[in-house]
Amino acid sequence: MKELSELTFPENLRYAESHEWISPGGSPVRIGISDYAQDQLGDVVYVELPEAGKTLAKGAPFGSVESVKAVSELYLPVAGKVVETNAALADSPELVNKAPYGEGWMIAIEPANPEEVDALLTSQAYREKLKG
Amino acid sequence: MTAKRQSWGIVDLGRVPYEEAWALQTRLVEARADGRLPHDVILALEHPPVFTLGKRGGRECLLVPEERLRRSGIGLVQVERGGNITYHGPGQLVIYPILHLLQLGIGVVDLVDRLEEVMIRTCAGWGVRAQRNPINRGVWVGPKKIGAIGIAVRRGVSFHGMALNVDPDLAPFSWIQPCGLQGVGVTSIAAEAAAPAGMAEVKGEVRAHIEAVFQIGLEALERRELLRLRSPSAETPCGNDVPAPAECRERVRG
Repeated sequence: MKELSELTFPENLRYAESHEWISPGGSPVRIGISDYAQDQLGDVVYVELPEAGKTLAKGAPFGSVESVKAVSELYLPVAGKVVETNAALADSPELVNKAPYGEGWMIAIEPANPEEVDALLTSQAYREKLKG
Repeated sequence: MTAKRQSWGIVDLGRVPYEEAWALQTRLVEARADGRLPHDVILALEHPPVFTLGKRGGRECLLVPEERLRRSGIGLVQVERGGNITYHGPGQLVIYPILHLLQLGIGVVDLVDRLEEVMIRTCAGWGVRAQRNPINRGVWVGPKKIGAIGIAVRRGVSFHGMALNVDPDLAPFSWIQPCGLQGVGVTSIAAEAAAPAGMAEVKGEVRAHIEAVFQIGLEALERRELLRLRSPSAETPCGNDVPAPAECRERVRG
C-alpha cells in the first residue's frame, strides 16, 4: 500500500469520510472512490452499480466493489437521483484503480440538496482525516 | 512491548446453521458500526453441510443438480461476500472476523493477507506446508486448497471470513469446480499431516496465531453476551450491553 504522501486528492473535488469523492458545482455531479480507497481495496475485479433513475438517500449503499475476495459496499455521500452510471466499469473494473478520478468514475447523480455537496470535506480536510 | 495491546472478543459458537450465523454477523456488523458493540469480535464455528455462492454467484460451478443437494438436505445460499462457490461442513473451522477496519486502519488486502498468514502458521504447526497462490487467494498445499477466504465490508466493518479444512468430509468439494481452475483439488490438515488434527486443538492454535498476526489479545466471550445487544430502535440510548474485554473498555470512546 502507498504512503499517504503518494496519494492524490484533487483540489476541485469534495470527499466523504467513507472515501467517496464527488465533483461539486452544477448538476449532475459525478461520484467515485478516492485514491486512498482504491489503494486500500487492491485490484478491483468487479463493480456493481445501481440502475439509472433510482433515487437514494444520503448515506445509502449505492453499489459495491469486489477486490481480492472481498466485497465492499459503497455509500452515497449526498441524497439524489442516479442519472448515469459508468458502463465502462462492467468490462474494465481496473479503471477504478488506474484512474479513480477520471475513467474510473462510478455514477452521476442529481443532488436533492446541493448544499450537502458543499458540506463534504475539501481535499485538505480529507487528507487531514486520513492522517488521523 | 511498549504499546498496550488491544483486546478483541472471541466467541466459540460450536456448530451453527449457516443462516443463523449469517443473521448474527449482520446484527453484529450493524452494532459494531453504530458503536453498540464497542470492540471487535472473532466468531469461531463450524457449519452443517452447506454450499454458498459469492456476490457474483458461481452457480455454474456447481457440478451436480440442485435437486441432488435438496435430496441430501444440503442448502445452497447466495451471500454478499467476495469469491465464488464454496462448501462448508463439519470438520471445517470457520472464522468470521467482525472488525472495524476503518478504525483499525486495516485495508481489505491487508485483512486477506493476514487471514492467509493465520492459516499458513496453523498448518505449519501440524507440519503441513501451506502457501499463498498469487493467482488465487486462499491457502494451498501444492495444487490443493486447504483454506478459503471470502470477505464482505459494510459500513467499514468486515464480516464473512475464512474457512480452514481441519478434518471435513472432502467428498462434497467434488460437487463444485473451483472456477476456471484445472487440476486443482481440496485437502485438509488431517489428510496432509502425520499427526491427528483435532478441531479443539486447531481452534486453539488459530486463536494464538490471530493474536500474533494481528498483534492483539483475544478474550473469550459467551454467545449470550453478544445476543444481549439492543436493536438500534430501542428507546434506551445505546448502552454498552456487551461487557468489553478489559482493555477495550479503556479504548472505546476514550
